[in-house]
Amino acid sequence: MKAVHFLALAIAAGALVPAAFTAKASEARSGQDIYFDKCVYCHDSRGWGTRVLARRTPPGEAELTKRKDLPAAYTKIVVRRGLNAMPQFTPTDLSDDEVAAVARWLDEQN
Amino acid sequence: MGETLPPGIAGETFAKALDEFRAAVGSANVFTSDADRASYLDPFAVGSQEDHACSAAVAPADTDELSKVLAAANRHRIPLWPVSMGKNFAYGTAAPQMRGSVVLDLKRMNRILEINEKLGYAMVEPGVSFFDLKAELDRRQSGLWMSGPAHSWGSVIGNALEHGVGYTPYGIHAETICGMEVMLADGTLVRTGLGAVEGSQEWQCYKWPFGPMWDGLFTQSNFAIVTKMGLWLMPEPEGMAGVTIDVPNKEDLGALIETLRPLRLNDTINATYTIANGWRQITSGVRRADLYSGPGAVPAELVGKELARRERGWWNVIFNLFDRPGALDLRIAAIREAFAATLPNARISVTRWQKGEPQAPWMRQEVTLSPLGIVDWYGSPGGHTDFGPVIAPTAERLEQVYGIIEKRFIEYGIDPWIGAFGLGGRALVMVADLIYQRDDKEMTGRCRELFRKLCEDMAAIGVGLYRSHITFMDDVVKMHTWGDGALPDLNSRLKTMLDPNGIIAPGKQGIHGKANG
Repeated sequence: MKAVHFLALAIAAGALVPAAFTAKASEARSGQDIYFDKCVYCHDSRGWGTRVLARRTPPGEAELTKRKDLPAAYTKIVVRRGLNAMPQFTPTDLSDDEVAAVARWLDEQN
Repeated sequence: MGETLPPGIAGETFAKALDEFRAAVGSANVFTSDADRASYLDPFAVGSQEDHACSAAVAPADTDELSKVLAAANRHRIPLWPVSMGKNFAYGTAAPQMRGSVVLDLKRMNRILEINEKLGYAMVEPGVSFFDLKAELDRRQSGLWMSGPAHSWGSVIGNALEHGVGYTPYGIHAETICGMEVMLADGTLVRTGLGAVEGSQEWQCYKWPFGPMWDGLFTQSNFAIVTKMGLWLMPEPEGMAGVTIDVPNKEDLGALIETLRPLRLNDTINATYTIANGWRQITSGVRRADLYSGPGAVPAELVGKELARRERGWWNVIFNLFDRPGALDLRIAAIREAFAATLPNARISVTRWQKGEPQAPWMRQEVTLSPLGIVDWYGSPGGHTDFGPVIAPTAERLEQVYGIIEKRFIEYGIDPWIGAFGLGGRALVMVADLIYQRDDKEMTGRCRELFRKLCEDMAAIGVGLYRSHITFMDDVVKMHTWGDGALPDLNSRLKTMLDPNGIIAPGKQGIHGKANG
């Protein structure tokens, strides 16, 4: 099994609030949507998570979407437990289904 | 992690309480699995995470569900630990002060109820993060600006309740609170201030109506659960100036604060300023191991060399000014004049912005999580907490307090990573960060000893703190000895009266009440 590297995910804006001031939508969102909503603040090309990962990952793989070894099972564990400087996500931050969706989507990108 | 129960609660009783929580909020919103409970541990714990492990978490969606949770908690004497976003990093994150408490996760109560453009305020629920509020202000193309803290993951309400700070003229966030709705332990819903008047349109407009002003009592306390809060927002300014001042010498601290204080007091500097010492400035872009691998704290001489390499002074001051362009010119001229008279070697650089131009990172209007990057300073997995004394901004007092703290950090072999927030003209909050490798038990133990020694040091000279990690709340409350501990005693009496079963956040800020005393 390939060595796994530091993975950091972080949150961005939760589904928003909108005009009618109803509670946030709870309908299923795609893994891609969740990634760009919750993860990119640390994991886009300029994010601090990417900068930290650049010290530990092979060249060109610091961004999560460019990793060659990001199995969904590993992502699910790291999101819920946190790793190194990355705090974990509670089930109210991301449901199990949402974690699974973003983990699956990231796996598909690699 | 193994099974955890609230103190003194039998497993059978706890199971009944969980069933009632499930009936109140739905099974999907009561979290009891090991993985779910572990997600509420403090990721930056200064010691064992298990010391503050929860027994479960429950997440109501509205005040109706919340009242049912409180009723069940009262019936079974279950301690609840309310969190809004649960991102109080460095102070415990979402973990309870009392091990075995049930985390009362309010993140599903996440509505922005109002943004009033004319009167400059927002009304929000606890689960609204700074990301959420910023996104909504942007979506509306609002003419109001948010005052955000160092990182944006946290709750707008939670940060204000915990006395958090930002970098705008509205940077003392607790002072922007205007009107709350709170639920007492018995389920009674109360609106403070003018919210008590049926049909009020001024609830978020004025803080000092008829009778006592209660809002402050619900900050950093466990007297009730805040379910809604009004917060004042700043109108977008016509212009901004970002000012950075490098002050070369370590011994310039007294002259620096004597220069800054009058400028802040007369509002020439009209927002929070920050001061960073040398250790705090050498961390960007490097790992500690790249600079130093010897024993103890990074030596001051090495810090000096690194600062010289970076062309930085020992003290670095940053603040933003908010005004019309012409008025900004006057403010900047006054600042330059003051520094020329007292610290002629200080280097002042200014960046400008005018309304309509694209925003830049120095304006600190963008949401961010970048401050989390520092926690790995000593290595992974890192963590940090802060020692935060409140200090009168005079040369004598600041030099006294800074000197004690720096010396203690070096004595304990921890890098004195120290900064200060200039909050208004009359107070500095020093933030002395204890950064550690959190799986190094010797090191986290040393940090706990250091924190407690500093509490003794500060109490001995009459200095108190503005906030603390859950691990140290009982230590900090002991610093309040005047009148034979009259204030902690008052807090305890009030707690006992409002929450006789002690179900809301026992131990928060060292307030236990009789039920948990």
